[in-house]
Amino acid sequence: MERQRFQGDFSRLLQQAGVSLFNVPAGSAETLSAAHGTTVIALKYDQGILNVADRRATAATGILYDEAEKILMLDEYTLIAIAGSYAPAAEAARFLRHSFKYYARSQLQDMSLEGKLAEVSRVLSQSVPSVLQGIGGFLPIVSAHDRAKNQGRIFFYDVLGARFESREYGAAGSGAEKIRGAFEYIVRTRGPLHEMPLSDVLREALLLLDIAASLDPATAGLGGVLPLAKTITSQGIADVPEETLRKLQRELRSES
Amino acid sequence: MAYTPYDWQQTLRQKADYVEDRLRAGSPVVGLSCETGALLLTTRRAQRKIFEIYDRLAFSGLGNPSDLETVRQLAVDFAHAEGYQRSPDDVSIQRVVGLAISPVLKRSFADPFRTPLVLKGLFVQVGDRPEDDLFFTLNYDGEFMLHHHHAVAAGTEFAEQRMKHTLSERTPKRKSKDASSLPLEAALQRAIDAWAIGSWALQAGILEPSQRGKAESGVEALPSQRETQEIWSKELEEGAVEAALLERDAKRERRLRLMSDEELARFLP
Repeated sequence: MERQRFQGDFSRLLQQAGVSLFNVPAGSAETLSAAHGTTVIALKYDQGILNVADRRATAATGILYDEAEKILMLDEYTLIAIAGSYAPAAEAARFLRHSFKYYARSQLQDMSLEGKLAEVSRVLSQSVPSVLQGIGGFLPIVSAHDRAKNQGRIFFYDVLGARFESREYGAAGSGAEKIRGAFEYIVRTRGPLHEMPLSDVLREALLLLDIAASLDPATAGLGGVLPLAKTITSQGIADVPEETLRKLQRELRSES
Repeated sequence: MAYTPYDWQQTLRQKADYVEDRLRAGSPVVGLSCETGALLLTTRRAQRKIFEIYDRLAFSGLGNPSDLETVRQLAVDFAHAEGYQRSPDDVSIQRVVGLAISPVLKRSFADPFRTPLVLKGLFVQVGDRPEDDLFFTLNYDGEFMLHHHHAVAAGTEFAEQRMKHTLSERTPKRKSKDASSLPLEAALQRAIDAWAIGSWALQAGILEPSQRGKAESGVEALPSQRETQEIWSKELEEGAVEAALLERDAKRERRLRLMSDEELARFLP
């Protein structure tokens, strides 16, 4: 039976079905609001990786939604935290989820971490034309538990798809720019994050998120809706329980 | 030489004979709903036989491995393209089998100049409750059929009939509501029994008419204990049991869980 083989390549399968991930509509930069601000943070801790994100979605200078989920699961051991335009980012995450699943099911083996990271790069580079049209790009931070090495790893990307591995932390979004130095300060004065327990790292992350919120209007702090926090360990992905977050929120708010 | 309708019919018959001859040697496949999910069970030599198609879909079958692979790829391709374009909830067993696969099989079977695909497939979709589980059996000519609670695929009709009989007769005649709320252990045991009976019925194929006569007259056509044990010891010499549970309440994204040999060992005679 003659049929096309995709070797587990999901974008080729979609191509054949006539679907493309990023349709670039004609338009000028002025017609659409620019990239959305936010703060997403990925930090290592002794058992794995913690991802924290505020939940504010903005459009131009207004707040669009205060319960946006910016940490999305790509598979059982991989999270993507997104900053930037929400629509292409969410669409890319959906694509990546399907792409990993499709590869695993059609090829009967999991895609390697390296393969997954390259796929993220590819998605980013595919979105470049729409970025140039002014639709807005996005910056992902990919956190994964590397099962081959049995350790957590954090990767961040630039808008064109270049990938960098981070030793201790990754942060993206308009608020992240303002607190990057503070991470360095913590690492230099208190020691590497990957040796700290989750409770300490979570505390630092929430505090820094609150500080980012005070410096960046597009980032929500601890005042309103609780931020989103997820961990990845060798056991997979888990949510940080709401009570834990609420308790820390109370403590940190009363301290400030 | 002219190709007449008579030739066409003749070709189909020959093709069917050709396929059925080959299918007779295949290991039967059992599908059965239980409390915690939908169970698929068969035996294999080296090649895997039970596959995940999509979040709630799994597939197994018997026949030519390369043909099974073709069908599996078709199903995976269709399911993922659909799941992405629409949503994962829109990928249903009915669409996968009826839209993506059956027409291809039918075309290939009806085309006199192509070799038919040699396979019988069994698809399952796990639902939120056992009574929502759906099974589809797929024949080499593209014909497919929906089943609830359980389904089988085997090389002869007689074997399938015996297996179905085994799977359903032991379900006490209760309301359909709890008919399939079987614990996993019981389901495994039942599936293993049904497989052995299917395998036995395939070997007893030469006795088909008389056995069928006995079955119809109410006399059970079943292998003896010794025969069952022989079937298993012979099968396990060269191969292994493969069973997988498509879990109902999986927190994990992957619902299909292949069972380990240790898990299965205690159910084998």
